[in-house]
Amino acid sequence: MPTANPLSKIIVLASVLAAGFLLIILSCALFDNWLPLLVVGVFLLAPLPNAICEKYAANDDFMQETSGNAVIDFGRYITGILVVTGLALPFALAHSRVIGLPAMFMSIFGGLLVYGTIITFTMFFNESEEF
Amino acid sequence: MSTGSKLFRFPIPLPPLPTSASVRSAGVYLAGGLFSLGFWFFLDSAIYSKKFNPYYVHVKFVDWIPGICSLLGIIVINSIDKARLSSEASFSYGGEGVAWKARLVLFMGFALLAGGFAGSIVVLILKYIVPQTPWPTLYFGISNVISNGLMMLSCVVLWISQNVEDEYSYSLAL
Repeated sequence: MPTANPLSKIIVLASVLAAGFLLIILSCALFDNWLPLLVVGVFLLAPLPNAICEKYAANDDFMQETSGNAVIDFGRYITGILVVTGLALPFALAHSRVIGLPAMFMSIFGGLLVYGTIITFTMFFNESEEF
Repeated sequence: MSTGSKLFRFPIPLPPLPTSASVRSAGVYLAGGLFSLGFWFFLDSAIYSKKFNPYYVHVKFVDWIPGICSLLGIIVINSIDKARLSSEASFSYGGEGVAWKARLVLFMGFALLAGGFAGSIVVLILKYIVPQTPWPTLYFGISNVISNGLMMLSCVVLWISQNVEDEYSYSLAL
């Protein structure tokens, strides 16, 4: 989309985020079992290690290039762990019959929507900062 | 850019390692995901044993030991600076014992990792297969083996992707 209005982009992202939260909260409230709400926490935590580690590596960029790379890699590793945790948590809960299958699908899809919104938003920000 | 030294007698067309920063970061993400997947395979069996287990054999602390060994092995292997491994580098860093120490610690890390995998197979055989537990309980042992195997795979992927990064910076320096 070459010439999309940034305001419309933000509105679309916000509505997708709201839809994600709606799906997750619905998956909890419909079955009166609030464990899938953990997915929101995990997916909100997921972009944090990358941000913290990139900030940290940018701070001591002049000291050593290897340590900065290691720190960035550590942040990425933790991010990978958190994203798969958010996806695997509803599977594990549904496998032990703590939550039902519909709750599992709804919370996974909602979590993906929330995380996708956060990632798209940060990419959008970085892109606008470059110019 | 071709590598200078020939390893094999006949020129075997090895696929060149992808040398780009995005491939490296994707490898690191993939390694984290694989580790998490392995951890969740085991955690799933633990939750299942607590909540919905029809049999009297449960996941106890014995089942956790191989996973703990694998985790320690991953930590030990990845906290080694890989530049210290080659003996030529140890000259410049001072102290020729550094490479030897690094190799020793690395060996202990790999021993922990392999010991975790072997231990998970031991638990599967001794605790679940020999007493002939029925299927949904047998899954605890199998998931333990899968989990430790995925942790090993995660370590391998992380190692390979960091070597990709090294080659990338090397080609940048030239």
